[in-house]
Amino acid sequence: MADQTPLPALARLGHASHCKRCLDGLPDSQTDIDASRLALAFYCIGSLDLLGILKDATPKLDRDRESWREWIWEQQTRGRCGSGFRPSPFMTAHHPPEEQIECTDYDSPHIIMTYTAFLSLSILRDDFSRLDRSGIITFLRACQREDGSFSTVPGSAESDLRTLYCAFAISCMLDDWSAIDVDRAVSFIATCRSYEGGYGQSPYCEAQGGTTYIAIASLFLIPSELRTSDPLTPEERQLTIQWLLRNQDESGGFRGRTGKEADACYCFWCGAALKILGASDLVDANSLATFLARCQFKYGGIAKAPGEHPDPYHTYLSLAALSMYPPSVANNSTWRFEPLDPLLNAREETSQWAKKYIPARQS
Amino acid sequence: MPSPTGDQISKSLFAERSEWSDVTPLQQYESLVNPLAPIFYTEEYKDATDYFRGIVKSGEKSQRVLELTEAIIRQNPAHYSAWQYRYETLLALDAPLDVELKLMDELAVKYLKTYQVWHHRRLLLAHTRKPAPELEFIARSLGVDAKNYHTWSYRQWLLAYFNDEDDLWRGELDFVDAMLTQDVRNNSAWHHRFFVVWGCGVREGEEDRGRILKRELTYVKQNISLAPNNPSAWNYLRGVLDHNQVLYSIVFPFVRLYTVPFNSERTDIVDLENPPPDKDANLPCPAAIEFLADVYEQDKNKESTLQAVELWMSLANEHDTIRKKYWEHRIREALEATKV
Repeated sequence: MADQTPLPALARLGHASHCKRCLDGLPDSQTDIDASRLALAFYCIGSLDLLGILKDATPKLDRDRESWREWIWEQQTRGRCGSGFRPSPFMTAHHPPEEQIECTDYDSPHIIMTYTAFLSLSILRDDFSRLDRSGIITFLRACQREDGSFSTVPGSAESDLRTLYCAFAISCMLDDWSAIDVDRAVSFIATCRSYEGGYGQSPYCEAQGGTTYIAIASLFLIPSELRTSDPLTPEERQLTIQWLLRNQDESGGFRGRTGKEADACYCFWCGAALKILGASDLVDANSLATFLARCQFKYGGIAKAPGEHPDPYHTYLSLAALSMYPPSVANNSTWRFEPLDPLLNAREETSQWAKKYIPARQS
Repeated sequence: MPSPTGDQISKSLFAERSEWSDVTPLQQYESLVNPLAPIFYTEEYKDATDYFRGIVKSGEKSQRVLELTEAIIRQNPAHYSAWQYRYETLLALDAPLDVELKLMDELAVKYLKTYQVWHHRRLLLAHTRKPAPELEFIARSLGVDAKNYHTWSYRQWLLAYFNDEDDLWRGELDFVDAMLTQDVRNNSAWHHRFFVVWGCGVREGEEDRGRILKRELTYVKQNISLAPNNPSAWNYLRGVLDHNQVLYSIVFPFVRLYTVPFNSERTDIVDLENPPPDKDANLPCPAAIEFLADVYEQDKNKESTLQAVELWMSLANEHDTIRKKYWEHRIREALEATKV
C-alpha cells in the first residue's frame, strides 16, 4: 500500500508543454495519426483545459484559441450524408478556401471526430453559430445501422461501441435525440455485455475497460423520457462494479482486462465508469495517484505505464482520472483539479458550456 | 500479382514513374490558419497520397490502384479511406480475394493493433465465405500476441457470422484448451471458452445442458487447482453459475479448500469433484475468500451474514487491502440488510 509515501509533484508544466509540442507538429513517425488528427488535438487541448492553462487571458493565448477554433471549423464538411467533422484535410484536395465544396464519400464526416470537435470547441468557448445542426442530425441518422450500432463514416461497416457512444454524446450536447433509434442502440449495447460484468467492443467480445466505460456512459446519457427501463438491473450494476474494482491492481493502476498489466488510460475508463455508477468512493485514490505519478515522463507527458513513452491520449486520460480521484495524501497543490463530468468526459464547466451553446437556440 | 515488400515499395516516387504520368496528383488542402498537430509527412507519403487524391477524383478503379493503396497502407495502416477505396477496387476488378487475403496475412501481423486491417478482412470473408482457413491464420497470429484483442474479436466474429457451419466450430474447445495449456491465465481464452460453450447457441452433441454444466465445472475446478490465484478461472466459474442460475453453494466444498492455509496433514483421497490446491499454491486465495463470502451472503440469514463479514474483514485488512473500501462497503451493506 502506497498510502504512507508522499507523492512527488505532478509536473503540470511539463505535461502542458508535451501537449503544446504535439499541437505544433508531429514527426513523420506519427503518420498513422493522419486519419484521426482531430481526436489527437482534443487530447492536447483537453489536457490544457484540465490543467487550467486555457483560462489565462494573455494576447498570445487569445490568438492561439482563435486560430485553433478556425482550424477545427475548417474540418466541418458537408456531403450527401449530412454534416460533421472530418479528422483533418487528409483526403481533401487543395481548393481556394473561399470555395465551398461538397465532400466526397472518401472525405466524409467521421462520428468520433465530430464528438471530439464538439468538446474541443466547447473548451475553446466557441459560440457554435457555425454549426450545421440539421446536417449533423442527417449525418447521425445515416450512421446508425440495422443492428443499432453506428458506423464511423456513413456507409462503412466499421462499427462498434465507441461510435455508439459518440452518437449518444453528440445527441446529448445537441439536446436533440431525434436522429437516433435509442431502443435499437440499447439492444446493441446489451449484446456486448460479458459474463464478467464488463462490456466488449462488439457482440461476443471480451470485457474491456474502455468499452465498459463507453457502454455505461451511453446508458446513463439517455434522457429519462426516452428510457424504457433502468440503465442496469441492481444485479448487473453490482457485477459491473465488482469487475471494475477488481481491475485495480497492486501497482494502484487499473488494467483494461482481467489478468493484464495496469495502464494509465484505464485509470480513466474504469474510474469514470465507477464514478457514473456511484461507486467512486470505493476506489483507492491514493494508490491510483501513486501509479500515475510513476507514469510521468521526465521531459513531460504521461505514458501508459512507468518507463514508457508519453502521448497526449494517456496524458489527457490520466489528468481526467485525477480530476475524479484526487489523492488525499498529496502534500502539494500540483495534484488539484477541477471536477470532471464523467458522462461527456470534460471538465464540468466545459460540459456546461457545451450543453448551453450546442443546442439550437429557441427563438 | 506479386506483393512487394515494404522496402521495394518505396523504391521511387509515383511522380517519377512514367506509368503514372497520366494521373494528375492533387496536393492536400492547405489551411489559411495554423493547422493543429500537423504531421511532417515523408516525401513518399505526400507523393502517394497526392496520387491517391487524384485517383479518387477521377474514380479510376484499376490494378494500379491496388499498388497505390498498398503503398499508403504500409505507411499509414489507419488510412481508412485508402482501405475503403481498395476494397471497392477489388470488387470492381473482380480481383482474386485469396491473393488479397495472403497479403492481409502479412499486414495483419505487422499492424496487429490497427482496426482497419481486421475490418478489411471481415469484408473479404463476407465475400469469399471460406472461413475454415481463417481459423488456422488466427491461431498463427495469436502465436505472435496471445491476448490481442482484435485477433480474438475476429475469431468470435467469424464463428458467429458462420454460426451454422458445424465443421467450423468443431475444433473450438480443443483450440481453447491448447491456448489455456500454454497460459492458463489468458483471460481471452477463458472468455472464448464461455462464448463457445454458452454464448452463441448450442452445438451438436451438446444438447444435454446439465452434462455440459457438469463438464465445465469440472474443467474450471481442475484449472483452479493447478493455479489457484487465477482471476480468469474464478470469473469463469462465477459466469457459468450465473448463466445457469445455479446457487454458488453448489461449489462450497471445493471453494473452501482454497480459503485456508495449506494443510500438510491433508489425506490424499482423490476427490474429482473437489480437486485440492496444488501443494505449492499461494494460499489462502483472495478470489476464493471472496467467493465463499458470496456463498454465505446468498444464504440470506444472520448467521451466514456474519460469516461473510468475517471473510470480508480478512480481505480488507490482510488479503486484498487495495480494495479495503470496497470490502468495508460490502460489510456495511450486508449488516444493513440483516437488520431489516
